[in-house]
Amino acid sequence: MNYEFDWSLLLQEPNWGWVIEGISNTVQLSLMAWGLALVIGIFIGTIRMAKSRVLRLVGTTYVEIFRNIPLLVQLFLWFFVFPLLLPDDFMRAWNRLDGVPFLTALIGLSLFTAARIAEQIRSGISSIPKGQFLAAYSTGLTEVQTFRHVIIPYAFRVMIPAIASEFLTIFKNSALTLTIGVAEITGAAKTIEAYTFRGIEAYSAASLTYMLTTASVVIFMGWLEHVLRIPGLIGKR
Amino acid sequence: MDFSVISDNIEFLMLGLMRSFQLAVFTIVFSLTIACFIAIGRVSSRRAIRYPSAIFVNLLRSNPLILIVFWFFFLVPLITGKTLPEFHTVLIAFVVFFAAYFAEIVRSGIQSVGASQVKAALSTGLTYSQSMRLIVLPQAFRNMLPALVTECVIVFQGTTIAYVIGMREFLHSTSLVAERTVRPVELYLFAALVYLVICFAGTRLALFLEKK
Amino acid sequence: MTLPLVQINNLSLRYGNFVALDDISIDFMPGTCVVICGPSGSGKSSLLRCVNRLEDFDTGDVIFDGQSLKAAQNVSKIRSNIGMVFQHFELYPHLSVMNNITLAPRYVNGVNRDEAEAKAKKLLERVGILDQAHKYPDELSGGQQQRAAIARALALEPKLMLFDEPTSALDPEMISEVLQVMRDLARNGMTMLVVTHEMGFARDVADEVVFMDKGKVIERNESGSFFDNPQSDRAKEFIDRVLQKI
Repeated sequence: MNYEFDWSLLLQEPNWGWVIEGISNTVQLSLMAWGLALVIGIFIGTIRMAKSRVLRLVGTTYVEIFRNIPLLVQLFLWFFVFPLLLPDDFMRAWNRLDGVPFLTALIGLSLFTAARIAEQIRSGISSIPKGQFLAAYSTGLTEVQTFRHVIIPYAFRVMIPAIASEFLTIFKNSALTLTIGVAEITGAAKTIEAYTFRGIEAYSAASLTYMLTTASVVIFMGWLEHVLRIPGLIGKR
Repeated sequence: MDFSVISDNIEFLMLGLMRSFQLAVFTIVFSLTIACFIAIGRVSSRRAIRYPSAIFVNLLRSNPLILIVFWFFFLVPLITGKTLPEFHTVLIAFVVFFAAYFAEIVRSGIQSVGASQVKAALSTGLTYSQSMRLIVLPQAFRNMLPALVTECVIVFQGTTIAYVIGMREFLHSTSLVAERTVRPVELYLFAALVYLVICFAGTRLALFLEKK
Repeated sequence: MTLPLVQINNLSLRYGNFVALDDISIDFMPGTCVVICGPSGSGKSSLLRCVNRLEDFDTGDVIFDGQSLKAAQNVSKIRSNIGMVFQHFELYPHLSVMNNITLAPRYVNGVNRDEAEAKAKKLLERVGILDQAHKYPDELSGGQQQRAAIARALALEPKLMLFDEPTSALDPEMISEVLQVMRDLARNGMTMLVVTHEMGFARDVADEVVFMDKGKVIERNESGSFFDNPQSDRAKEFIDRVLQKI
């Protein structure tokens, strides 16, 4: 194998600038998409458990659509198709926005991940013993109150590992947004490789970003589970 | 909207879909095979086997598929000295990546069978590898079938990533036609529908298997 | 003449082909403690759950304190006047005992936090676990958890208390502490419907015993008369079998 390593070039401009921009965009995009996905996902997950059949159907349809279409296809739909379906004025306003790729990526990633989170919420809630619902209703709490004060907090604590791993999934999926022009870290690495032919150094920068993030989240999650431990809930059962 | 652009180009598009399926099927066959070995390695009592297996799985699961594809596209010509056709390189990347995921599914399948089954098998005189092959893996497979089917759907969805390196799979073919005919709306909606139908069927199958 | 607190008229409930309750009509007067007993599958728990409409009955009606449950628009409001205690306690595991008790008063009746906690402390003292107020359910023994559950049900100052096999999930040593609390409640005039196998409690504390079998009320009598002089054969059989174990 004929390869000259040159790790220092990562620290030179313009490479270093690309790396920093890439990491920054990846982190920002992931955090924002994750936050949005949680909000939407919890909402969809909850309405899938509602008494109204219409609400349940809406939730299930959402999940099946956004889960079964590959993320890359969804990103393309939002990037290429969505603006064209808008009325003319809106389309012009949209195209003039700053950072359309980032915004598109944010929408695409959040809605996709929201479907996954909704699924996890549904299975989390179904695992709650029916007696909890009965006890809450028997004290006069309405369905909404019961979900807000008893069911969701309970389910939330049990689902913390799944929610943290969804963050990691978004973090890795953010790499796909390079196809619609987002300057995230994998795209940055590819650009550096194209300019310098030093693929190993370039891709290592990207891989390191993902691996360090994964390791940190796993460690943080372990600490969090320990702190939020409901005596006997996570752990004994 | 003019959907005739789809019927006009249907053969080209279906060819792309064929390639997507090819990539998916080959990936599943090869990576599942490798995954079985890795999974057994993960539960091995010998540290020299257990540690590298764990490292392999964790390394691959920490990286996005698209980055792994870039890695292999760079390393394969470097290491072998020649350029393989893009399908082969992508296939290698996919197989290595998904082997890690299938390995975890197989591992939990093996662990769901229970140590006492192995002990029972050993006590009748079977060797460890015979016990694995004849007693544990068959049972494990039945337990992990739903998870396997779900992962296969993920593999199929993953084939869209081959777009990025220019392979003519379904998404890439769709985008080529979309560019040429300047009708992205019809084409991408059609592609989305096709994926939706195929993957929905897959997840329904997984659900059905889970209930059995 | 006092009106019954609970009027059950022609109540029927089915699960698919299984008839859980078969055209039941029965009244309960305020201030009485009634034990409902019978073999499993007789419909006792289903009947109880219909009284606060946790189960939706098919035909018939339950009139609680003059209000029809079938016609009621706001069932939650009615439920806040009925307290229920479950076999498996069903305390909320992610909330402390104190918060378990104050949750409903605060969110159903709009009581402010300090007032709710003050009332909760009185209740905890009454059931004998004031020192456990800030612990989580999993840190309590079964008997303590059930007493906390009783306090939770009492927090809304209900007119009626429903007990669904409150001691069936408890270790023998802890049954008496819970029965003691229930005995005090009865002595203080609470209207109680108790589904239980504890025949000692039925005999000593209950005013009346209702015996059910296969979804029907077979016999109803003052508790003393029920045990000394059961009218029906089914009841006789049941009492013999149960007393054999004591």
